[in-house]
Amino acid sequence: MPNPNELSPAIRIPLAGLLAWLVPGVGHLFIGERTRGLILLITVSLTFWGGIAIGGVRSTVDPQRNYLWFMAQICAGGHTLAAYGLGESSRSKHFKANVPDASYQRDKRVTQRLKSDLLSTANWRSAELALVYTGVAGLLNLLAILDAIVRADPAHRRMAVVTAAPGTGAT
Amino acid sequence: MTVSSLIAQFFVTPIALGGLQKAVLILPICLSIAIVYKVTRLENLRHMIRAVLNLWVTIVVGMYAVGVGLWVVYTLLV
Repeated sequence: MPNPNELSPAIRIPLAGLLAWLVPGVGHLFIGERTRGLILLITVSLTFWGGIAIGGVRSTVDPQRNYLWFMAQICAGGHTLAAYGLGESSRSKHFKANVPDASYQRDKRVTQRLKSDLLSTANWRSAELALVYTGVAGLLNLLAILDAIVRADPAHRRMAVVTAAPGTGAT
Repeated sequence: MTVSSLIAQFFVTPIALGGLQKAVLILPICLSIAIVYKVTRLENLRHMIRAVLNLWVTIVVGMYAVGVGLWVVYTLLV
């Protein structure tokens, strides 16, 4: 893999943003900000999967029912895609177990009703909190993506060297 | 039941939460917000822990103060 510092800014900046979206913190690791990247990776991942553990993978990431929350969740990139895939697989198993007749499984209304039944069995408090955790994890990753993009810009590096002094920093 | 099936069950079945548990679960999410915000804002991460703790306490106290205030208003009105 080529050294990211040798890449032109036109490639380095969007690549840092894309990596930061795919796996939180990896954008920072890519541009050489190892500590920052590791802290972001651990914090965003724990927040996201903590939410999934609270609300369950079946009902937490659901673009049909919670599309506005999904807009926030999708900012966590790979985590959201993995949770959605696991949720769909778990929902399919549930449908097959409850609707043995294959012809009914193709009926969208039956599928939707079963899905609603499945979601209504979730504890509303945990479902709500799970949405907040995963949505906030996504929005925090959006902040991390923007930060990775700014830090990947050589102009920011030059400014940071000039302005940084021990014991100071933006608050 | 194996450990892997226990973990799988943990992520599939929602946890039943009470009102108090929900209020306590504000703490870790506020900590996450404080960490990510400070990690992106500070150029020098040596002073991160203190800055994160300050921000965490500020957010938590602020959130609970708003919650108590709204609860008082609700109690007076209803």
